[in-house]
Amino acid sequence: MAKPASGRSHRIRHAPEIDLLPVMNLFCVIIPFLLLSASFLEISIIEMAPTEGISTSGAGTTSLAQSEEQQLQPKVIMTAEQMFLGTVFGTRPISAVTREYRDGELVDTYDYQALSEALGDFREELDREFASIPVHKITILTEDNVRYDNIVMAIDVCADHGFDQPGLQVAAYSVLQRQLNSMTASGGE
Amino acid sequence: MSSAPSKRHLPLLLGYKKSKAMIRGKDKKVSLNLTSMIDMFTILVVFLIKSYSAEGQIVTVSDALTLPHSRSDQTVELNLEIMVTGEAIVVDGEPIVFVDQTVLSQGNPIPVLVERLSDHLEYTRLMRGITDGEEMKVNIQGDVAIPAILLQRVMSSCAAAGYSTQNLTVIKVEGGDEE
Repeated sequence: MAKPASGRSHRIRHAPEIDLLPVMNLFCVIIPFLLLSASFLEISIIEMAPTEGISTSGAGTTSLAQSEEQQLQPKVIMTAEQMFLGTVFGTRPISAVTREYRDGELVDTYDYQALSEALGDFREELDREFASIPVHKITILTEDNVRYDNIVMAIDVCADHGFDQPGLQVAAYSVLQRQLNSMTASGGE
Repeated sequence: MSSAPSKRHLPLLLGYKKSKAMIRGKDKKVSLNLTSMIDMFTILVVFLIKSYSAEGQIVTVSDALTLPHSRSDQTVELNLEIMVTGEAIVVDGEPIVFVDQTVLSQGNPIPVLVERLSDHLEYTRLMRGITDGEEMKVNIQGDVAIPAILLQRVMSSCAAAGYSTQNLTVIKVEGGDEE
């Protein structure tokens, strides 16, 4: 027995095709424009606090003495052999200088992870003991031949712990040793 | 006597005779599948939009130096540019001091540099009238390998000339993956 006619068409229906050519045209315009205006190298700045110069002859010792008035302000001291953190609680060694390859060149470097931990501890102590005093300034005190990229890396670590107003002091080895000895003798004050 | 080409060779003889396949498909429209290309373009456009800069690059970095990388995210401003390499100190594109052992053996401001910077500040004063804090800023582009004493001498020269704020120009890296 034949089936009754359902009234429905039995033609195969194809899904309607979307015309992608206008989209392609749009992309062909957008992509060159974006390629031209894209900046793949993003430049930023680090704003430095006013610097206090120290001459290699030791003539800047007065400046060092003046900066000591800001007793809560920590100092990251970078010598050719070691890195120290000088705070109101005392001066302590952070790490010895190691050597690493950077852009194919063997250069001096420091343990920035250890510096980060030390600064974290100091920040906690600072918040506990002197909670009412906001401390943002930090001094990077380096020997005169420390590489610039090491200074920037130290500034980065300091900024991670809220010390985002770095200042730079540079001293000759003899001046730096004198400064370190006096800080150690006076308990970092 | 030349024999008629076999059916097998027909498609190669263009314009000679039409093959059966061509005759069968003459009313069919050939379409290119663009979906995969659109996918690729979409990814490319998203990536480019992310790195798009509406401001443009206001700082030109010299090929003679390599800037250090930093996680600092302060935006760069249009200020006087000082480039410091192991060979020379360049102010606004003009070499002012050639770096030698004498320059590296002292820790005071460099007189020639102070004079040049003072002139520039004076010129800015004359051109714009009263100078505010924004004009008393300099951007220092230092090569990664310069010693601290050279950077400090440049910074103290800036301070001596009246540029109270010194910015170090760096290449921004995303947090945590530096170097």
